[in-house]
Amino acid sequence: MKHRDDVLADLGRFSEPALYILISLADGPKHGYAMTQDIEAVTGQKLGPGTLYGAIARLEARKWIEPLPADDRRRPYRLTGAGLRVLRHRLQNLHALARVGRLRLAEG
Amino acid sequence: MSRARLLRLYPRAWRDRYGQEFLAAFDTGPLGAQEVIDIVSGAIDAWLSSDVRQTTMARHVIAAGGKSMALKAILACERKQPGVTIRDGLIGAGVMVGIALLFKAVGLAATRAGLPQATAVLNGLAFPAEFTLSMPFWLMKGQPWKAQAAIVGTTFTVLVWIGLSTGH
Repeated sequence: MKHRDDVLADLGRFSEPALYILISLADGPKHGYAMTQDIEAVTGQKLGPGTLYGAIARLEARKWIEPLPADDRRRPYRLTGAGLRVLRHRLQNLHALARVGRLRLAEG
Repeated sequence: MSRARLLRLYPRAWRDRYGQEFLAAFDTGPLGAQEVIDIVSGAIDAWLSSDVRQTTMARHVIAAGGKSMALKAILACERKQPGVTIRDGLIGAGVMVGIALLFKAVGLAATRAGLPQATAVLNGLAFPAEFTLSMPFWLMKGQPWKAQAAIVGTTFTVLVWIGLSTGH
């Protein structure tokens, strides 16, 4: 069985946009436009439509996010329990990595 | 060039699933070169990615009341898709090159035999045939042989029929 660390990396070039989407949905459901605005505000990166929906389709296929009923033409998405676990684990690993990096910088 | 026109590059199932929200989210402001590249690469991904096909085709099956046996079979294959290794990719590429050379050789023989129409048919069929026949080595890796035979055989037969009926 694969370690949870690997599951986001399996998304290849979509792993980073997918992580951003999971983070964006962590505080509640959002539709595509709101996600791009939120991600741009948090990371400084503006996801293009092809990248955003490529990542959304992959997250949906893995049942890490799920669509809610559409509001006009905009369909919000929310994090599932599985998506929340993947996100928590990935953030813990990033936190541990950042701690090691900071320690080594302090030593040098 | 507008986003709505670029959206036509995506598979129909993808457009049915994401088209409206795609336009609602992004159809504002000028369309830059970087966004065009992103949309086009997203379209290529939508045609080739099994993840994306699984998500969008699933909606089609639900919309069709789950009656489409063909869609169900395709989805069953998609869900069982195992990892494709570099070796699988190289084997698939080798099969494609081999079949391309075979078609070229038969096409040359047809030209020398004074059969230009057969050469045109073979040239037209070369790429779709090599792609279809290489699928068992990567895209359909690990699927039941009956499913592979049905999909590859049917696709190849249709391609040959189209080639022969159109004459190119």
